[in-house]
Amino acid sequence: MSPAPSPLEVDEPDLDHDEIVDTDRPWIVLVWNDPINLMSYVSHVFQKLFGYSKAKADKLMMDVHEKGRAAVSNGARESAEMDVFRLHEHGLWATMQQDD
Amino acid sequence: MILRRRRSHAFERDGDRTAIRLGDDERSMLANLAEQFREVVADDADPDLRRLYPTAYPDDPERDADYSGLVHDDLVRTRVAAADTVVATARAVSLDSDQLTAWMQVLNGLRLLLGTRLDISEEDEFDPEAEDAPTRALLSWLGFLLEEAVVAASADFDDA
Repeated sequence: MSPAPSPLEVDEPDLDHDEIVDTDRPWIVLVWNDPINLMSYVSHVFQKLFGYSKAKADKLMMDVHEKGRAAVSNGARESAEMDVFRLHEHGLWATMQQDD
Repeated sequence: MILRRRRSHAFERDGDRTAIRLGDDERSMLANLAEQFREVVADDADPDLRRLYPTAYPDDPERDADYSGLVHDDLVRTRVAAADTVVATARAVSLDSDQLTAWMQVLNGLRLLLGTRLDISEEDEFDPEAEDAPTRALLSWLGFLLEEAVVAASADFDDA
């Protein structure tokens, strides 16, 4: 085992600095596949919430279905969180994470 | 997700409104289910409701708790209001756009609740002899209605 310090032992950055770093990197909103939601309904919700064309919404829906997930929007944390909320309101399984 | 075929019309678009083409038995069944859904959602204690309130930040429990604290009551209120709309319009001739949205949210919410309760997977085949066959048949019927509602609601989009 390496004697190098683990990240847990490194001093925590102060909160202000943490917040600045946070706002720099965009967030992505992911929708995950599940065995209950109907394909047509998922595509419908994408069109309704994001104003996507039927072709784009269908493509994202098929990505969810075949790859297990798709990134449906991205942006600052507040807007990504609002998108996640609206997806949850419509019963879709959405999460958000910071883009690497 | 599940691919369903389009069949006959449970809903029929008529300008801005959507006509309901369901029989009395189906309307009663739906009103009854919406009332039960309303009760379970308002009570907010059934663990099978979990699929209706997903985790927003899977990697960050602290932020997720903040998010949940911020939105949970709103999600409950929206769903209770949608269920009230379905109960109030189950025997209506037609629905406006907001009412149709409420129907879709309740149909989908009921499917999430029942599907979680049944622990269904995409590979499941329907077995009419199984103990849970009636609930699975119900899930399928709700899916049929939702599919039809989506077709009717899609008339609102330019390129549908």
